[in-house]
Amino acid sequence: MESQRKETSVLEVRGLSKSFAGLKAVDDVSFSLRTGDILGLIGPNGSGKTTLINVVTGLLPATSGTVLVDGREATGKPAHRVARMGIARTFQTIRLFKDLTVAENVEVAAVSLGLPRRKAANAARGLIAEMGLDAWAERLAGEIPFGHQRKLEIARALAMEPKFLLLDEPAAGLNEEESDLLLDLLHGVRRQKPVGVLIVDHDMRLMMNLCDRLQVLDYGKTIAYGTPDEVRRNPEVVTAYLGSSA
Amino acid sequence: MSVLERILNGAPGRFTVVALAALLLVGAVLVNAFAPFVWVGIYTYFCVTLMLVLGLELFMGNSGILNWTYIGFVGIGAYSASILSTDPSLKHMGVPNMYPALVNLHLPVVPALLVGALVAAAVAAVIAWPLMRLSDAVGVITLFATLIVIHVLMTQWDNVTNGPRTFFGVQQFTTIWIATGAAILTLVGTHLFRESSLGLRLRASRDDRFAASAMGVSVVRVRYLTFILSSFVAGLGGGLWAHYITSFSPTSFYVGELFVLLTMLVVGGAGSISGAATGAIIITVLREGLRQVESYLNNSGVISFEVYGLTEVVMAMLLIAMLIWRPTGIVGGSEWRLPLRRKQAAAAPSPEPPAEPVLETEAAEEAK
Repeated sequence: MESQRKETSVLEVRGLSKSFAGLKAVDDVSFSLRTGDILGLIGPNGSGKTTLINVVTGLLPATSGTVLVDGREATGKPAHRVARMGIARTFQTIRLFKDLTVAENVEVAAVSLGLPRRKAANAARGLIAEMGLDAWAERLAGEIPFGHQRKLEIARALAMEPKFLLLDEPAAGLNEEESDLLLDLLHGVRRQKPVGVLIVDHDMRLMMNLCDRLQVLDYGKTIAYGTPDEVRRNPEVVTAYLGSSA
Repeated sequence: MSVLERILNGAPGRFTVVALAALLLVGAVLVNAFAPFVWVGIYTYFCVTLMLVLGLELFMGNSGILNWTYIGFVGIGAYSASILSTDPSLKHMGVPNMYPALVNLHLPVVPALLVGALVAAAVAAVIAWPLMRLSDAVGVITLFATLIVIHVLMTQWDNVTNGPRTFFGVQQFTTIWIATGAAILTLVGTHLFRESSLGLRLRASRDDRFAASAMGVSVVRVRYLTFILSSFVAGLGGGLWAHYITSFSPTSFYVGELFVLLTMLVVGGAGSISGAATGAIIITVLREGLRQVESYLNNSGVISFEVYGLTEVVMAMLLIAMLIWRPTGIVGGSEWRLPLRRKQAAAAPSPEPPAEPVLETEAAEEAK
């Protein structure tokens, strides 16, 4: 693609917290993500992973802390501005534009970058082909099978040509075979596009195979950080999350 | 690619627009040539109504927000255009309390109509700035309250509108040809809008506003711009309507008339241009038919008492029935398609899990 970025970008999250009526859903979490990296975020249900993504993307205001994209402040900006700074995301509960066609879903993201409709349609066609959704392009997004909806969400996010891609449980609801396909697909994305990926998922096989680094949250706090192997051996993580399955 | 092929294979809805435009034109020619004189009036009225329904659909269908204020902007356009186009001596007589500055304003009809539409758009630009930030029930209730405010202004500001009394003496300018032309232009305009970048972003925000903003869509901004555009169409349609009907009062721009437009949208399907047009046709035919039945029942002495409001009762029941059994309207969310295209679509692989039922639009839900 013509838009290969030469220098790497950095998404820095510093001391981010989010409280709901006194409950600290995200408690002083920091990480930094460079383009080309894949950072995994794991933790038990309710440990604040989705909230963290919502706060980073501006859908929820932060209680304290900062989010910086290449040193530029993203905290406090409305979600659509954060998105245009180069942060794209998918949703844990699929949130497609269900009365728009598959192609239109992807075009929305391209158009909001400022592309005219025709160019957006071309960009969308390419991404839809990459995801293997060609045959479904003219169908309404709400009508296609679940696994395809997950892929469509990723295609839509990629249409923004993001510097950072935040995936919230992309493998949830997928069977083992589909989850393997997703793994291939995400490896492909990393090879072809200069993008930093933050991924939240419970599918440990996927996470261990995909991520360079894992960060473990529990009760909103970071309890461990390291390579998949280091994290797997960390006794605190085993107690909090991995349990007998590790 | 030939022009015909481009029409047939273009964006969904292009076929609808071309077919409807042709139908309108043929209808106008036939009515004008063969039908009794009354029909010419009905057809003219229908075309203006179609324009108004399409203007309502422009915002409501694409944003999913029930826009109560729409009929208010029709009124603003009607009053503004009529004040400008009516001869000062007539205005002096018709609206005795009118501000002298307004009495002396005088423009030919066409610029008057455009200024009327611009006034409606300008008012919309001011009030929509805060309103477009509100969503769901809060937004709908606030829009309804705003309609009440507009209505109170129309009935009380007798230096401008003649208060609750009739404003009369407007020239009859809107012929069957002008109305048909306006309806066709609106048809093309609303289609182009729907397929534009702005229209696409607005439709995305209708389906899921959080996902839309996460994709970089400024939901407030796309709603705001479309609201102004929709109000412009309302104002222009209002002006044309006023220059057809020639005398009117604020009651023409209130809940009752809005319900007629809403019924058309709900019956036809709020999500598409085909739906708006289908609804406008069905409801117009139904209303005229019921009116005939009503006057027959009252004049023939078949029954011993007089019947009033039959039209409204049937329309209300139809509205309720549609919302219960077919909230997406007769046409549903998508445009009419050629049988050929439908076959192509059907040939695409079908999803393994049964397709989820099409969810009713937010607008239809709110209309309940």
